[in-house]
Amino acid sequence: MRTAATVLLAIVALPALLLGQRWEQQVQGRLARAIDVMQTSSRLPVVKRSGMLNTDEGASFRTPLVQGTVYTIVAVCDDDCSRLQLTLLSPTGSDIAKERNSESLPILHFTAQATAVYGIRVVMEGCRWNPCWYAIAVVPLRKTPS
Amino acid sequence: MASVRRWVLIGLTACSVLALAYLPPRGVKSSGKSVFVGQSLQATRARQYAQALAEEWRNADAVVHLLEDRQRVKRDFSRASPTMVFRGATLPPNAVRNVETVMDSVWRGLGLGETKVRVTVVIELQRPGSVDTPTPLQDRVAYLTPDTTDRTTCMVSLPAGAYWTLFILGKRDARHEGFGRFAQWLQAGLGPCAFYAAYGTPGRPVRSWLAARNWDVGLYLGSHGIAGERFSSLDLMGNPGFSGFWDAVYSLPPATVACLAGRRRGCRAAVLAGAADEGAIPIPNVILVKRRWWRVQHLLPGERYLGDVARTVGRDRFLSFWTSGQPVDTALAAALKRSVGEWTADWERGFVRPIRLGPTPPLGATVIAVAIAVLVLTVVAATASRRQVR
Repeated sequence: MRTAATVLLAIVALPALLLGQRWEQQVQGRLARAIDVMQTSSRLPVVKRSGMLNTDEGASFRTPLVQGTVYTIVAVCDDDCSRLQLTLLSPTGSDIAKERNSESLPILHFTAQATAVYGIRVVMEGCRWNPCWYAIAVVPLRKTPS
Repeated sequence: MASVRRWVLIGLTACSVLALAYLPPRGVKSSGKSVFVGQSLQATRARQYAQALAEEWRNADAVVHLLEDRQRVKRDFSRASPTMVFRGATLPPNAVRNVETVMDSVWRGLGLGETKVRVTVVIELQRPGSVDTPTPLQDRVAYLTPDTTDRTTCMVSLPAGAYWTLFILGKRDARHEGFGRFAQWLQAGLGPCAFYAAYGTPGRPVRSWLAARNWDVGLYLGSHGIAGERFSSLDLMGNPGFSGFWDAVYSLPPATVACLAGRRRGCRAAVLAGAADEGAIPIPNVILVKRRWWRVQHLLPGERYLGDVARTVGRDRFLSFWTSGQPVDTALAAALKRSVGEWTADWERGFVRPIRLGPTPPLGATVIAVAIAVLVLTVVAATASRRQVR
């Protein structure tokens, strides 16, 4: 009886809890699926960031990358986003790699030459209903043999 | 005889030029002060200073309250429609539920459900004033639009005044006042926040354009009139048969008047006023809409212009205009698939028959003037024909 009541409560309360978080959940789900298809064997943690941006706005964050590790940096965005730009920045702030051709799923592959704090910048180049939600993951894949 | 004809032509041309230059424009009386503008008696300098100071205080107070509320108010995620907050009195739970129910129906009526930008409506119930401080903002609605510190909240500060305060508190009978009017008041109060909810944050050119003209073309998203079924800011100007209407017309900017006359170039200029200024958008961006907002419109009935554009072109095309990075005239013409002036002139005709502009001589004065002119010309002609050169 108690279980049935809990399930009923969950069914009734779930849409209310989800309200206002649809786009956040959409990008988190997409990011999780993108990470799932990558075969990570590294013990290093996956770094994730998410947020929202209006058209032509950008956001940056910094994350440490370990020397000799192969990373995949992937960004996803919600259904209303049409183009997302992803840039990897060196510790000094200069561009190392930029991906702007994959529309709403830019991916960068990178092997860190030195252990340092790198920058990652995301720019919302196209969003038909502002703001658009985005999420980024820095996924360590494996260590290159030294 | 040829010489006489030439002088007659010169005389008539001169009369026409003088008439164009000196006759009063249509509908304007030669004397008497404007009833519509309602100028007040000149206050003393000290009083003017005190009033200006109080005005500044009220504006700053409104901004501070909106910023505080944005940080403090917890969103009600159980409802898709706006979160309702009441200031000035503690409401019984059933009164809150009543207002929320009306707002829910307004929200559904606007075709809105879950939105990316959520709206919080702070209803300022009227409370007795204090002698120490100026009365808080009660004669204007204030909107705090989303910015980089909070991209998903649009705040409305809606003063209820004595009338709606009593209604909300249940001290005025709903059977007489009707929920319809209350719903209309709430819907009109959503203002620019309704556009933010429906279409998200506009792109920079549109945001800058709307900020430059204080959102006069985006004050009302509904399909009915802002204050009734077909009641718009045009109706607030009165009837074209009365001189008050013409006083109001001639107090508007020239492009607005030209648009009322059905001139496409005027309509284009009225719509695109402010579009050329790529001004900075302040943060926080607070829009203050004063009680007599219709007096400062660039387009009549401008409050529903963008709502009508959106309904005409459909959501997809409107969104492409709304978030476009192109200049406003280009983006709007692309969404309308017509020139802005042409579409707007047609839209204007849907509300008002094009007014006639230009000088209008009073009938009596015209008859007398023409009679004098004919008399003078006859005398001159007669004199000239009898003149003999010796």
